[in-house]
Amino acid sequence: MSGPASRNRRLGLAAVVAAVALLPAFESDFQRGLDSDAVIIALLVLSVVVLTGFVGQISFCQYSFAAMGAFTVGALMDGHGWSFWLALPVGVAVAVLAGVLVGIPALRLSGLLLAVLTVAVALFTDRFLLVTGTWDGFSGGAVPWHPSRPSLLGAPLAGSYAYYLFALAILCVAVLLVWNLRRGRAGRVLRAVRDSELAAATVGLDVTAWKLAAFGLSAGIAGLAGALLAVRIGSVSPGSYDFLHSVQLTALATVMGVSAIAAAPAAGIATVFGPELLSGIAVSSTWFPLLIGATLILQLVLVPEGAVVRTRHDMARLARLVSGRRGRDPAVAEVAR
Amino acid sequence: MTVLLQIDGVSKRYGGVQALNDVSFRVDRGRIKGMIGPNGAGKTSLFNCVCGVLRVDSGHIRYAGRDLHGLAPHRRARLGIARTFQTLELFRELTVLENLMVPVDAEARRGMLADALRLPRARFEENRAGERARALLHFLGIAEVAGIPGGDLAIGIQRRVELGRALALRPTLLLLDEPAAGLDSRETAELAGVLSRIRERFGTTMLLVDHDMSLVMRVCDDIAVLDYGRLIAEGPPERIREDPTVVRAYLGGSAA
Repeated sequence: MSGPASRNRRLGLAAVVAAVALLPAFESDFQRGLDSDAVIIALLVLSVVVLTGFVGQISFCQYSFAAMGAFTVGALMDGHGWSFWLALPVGVAVAVLAGVLVGIPALRLSGLLLAVLTVAVALFTDRFLLVTGTWDGFSGGAVPWHPSRPSLLGAPLAGSYAYYLFALAILCVAVLLVWNLRRGRAGRVLRAVRDSELAAATVGLDVTAWKLAAFGLSAGIAGLAGALLAVRIGSVSPGSYDFLHSVQLTALATVMGVSAIAAAPAAGIATVFGPELLSGIAVSSTWFPLLIGATLILQLVLVPEGAVVRTRHDMARLARLVSGRRGRDPAVAEVAR
Repeated sequence: MTVLLQIDGVSKRYGGVQALNDVSFRVDRGRIKGMIGPNGAGKTSLFNCVCGVLRVDSGHIRYAGRDLHGLAPHRRARLGIARTFQTLELFRELTVLENLMVPVDAEARRGMLADALRLPRARFEENRAGERARALLHFLGIAEVAGIPGGDLAIGIQRRVELGRALALRPTLLLLDEPAAGLDSRETAELAGVLSRIRERFGTTMLLVDHDMSLVMRVCDDIAVLDYGRLIAEGPPERIREDPTVVRAYLGGSAA
């Protein structure tokens, strides 16, 4: 755990985080807004990694969980004058609760039926819960909530760079905590549950509790992302949390590889900056989405494990090839894992 | 001699099949009891009823003086009932070491937050799980496969790992469902040795189902015979071997 290889990795990771934190200092406000969006998308993909990657449960309603966080924060701040710091934990708690509630029927379902259940939850949220007239105290009704950005320890987060740094810090903490969970007992237990629920129960694991915990954790992370998004935009309206966003999110996480935590930042960068980069290429805008769609289908067929996972494998193989000439390097064994 | 497991008039029916029909017998503490019978005699059904995967239609299962009725499988496991599976149920993507750590994880009393923050308690319990798993792998003579995913191993080794996973629970009662299936005669002989060593070292009570008569006759103190969901005979191996009902129902001409 503390060999030179892992120290090098830690240094490398710290350098990447520092670069990602510093780069936007030289960007425009608009660009920094996009950077914050990328961070929030990364959090949402992290929530999919927890649910799909760890326990093999599928969800098409992550944005509904995000909406729980966002609307709770919006209603409490704008409607009741709460501070962001009080509203945030309540918003996350509401999302966790929603996740556990969805998890209960999900215990008996898997695969396609579970997917349909989560679609139903997403549609219920979109078409009923957040519609004007159903519960305006939560959805804000005709006028969207306008939560303002808070300040942290006296430093206002109103500026685009300050807010970006704040969101990035939260993402880093969330990734660290999920990483710890994954490499410790929780990761082992959840993989065990995914492999054989029968065996898991007979060695003393409360499969139900663990699955619900995974649903709760995933929904909580999504709710956190929703709350961050609400304050980043400064307005909470149902359109930002609709079902199609959830579908895109799950597709994106699948393409990146749900089994890798690194899929989260990769997906954030890809969603926000992919279209920007590609907009420079001159292909008719009608054909372009088709091209992207076809590429995705090809990728899913050829690289079902996901882009991040495959890249990691390729890098490890490359490292082995290189070190094969110079004798075996202990660092390679670490990378290859 | 005290009774550990008391099967009392247990019946179980699926659809049109009477899997278990008023079966009663007991397993005494510290003994190895064999359970034999043709395929479909109800042996695995009985195991499933004892470990709580199946619900009995009628009858009672008492373990250490307590009626297990309505108790979920994981609760029964925590009371000390462990099992292996006829159709291997290893955690295939987990390494062998991890397979043996999971039962220790299951009894840990810490929350997820302790894991996420890597609190000292989490690290301590993590180390304890690893140590117990390694000690068992050495005991079973499979320490060299610790880092290999369970699903990548040969059947014989997988069975050994399942045994280790069950032992990691520190069971009082160990249910072994055809542990010799798919093993060659040398491996089966080794298994018999391992089972005797387990009893010596941990004092574990066992209920053993197998078709391999050499194994059952060698390690079991006494044997229950099931046929079509009924208990047709019970007694020490030498008497079972000569029991005319058993010979007719099960052993046929070959073993008599």
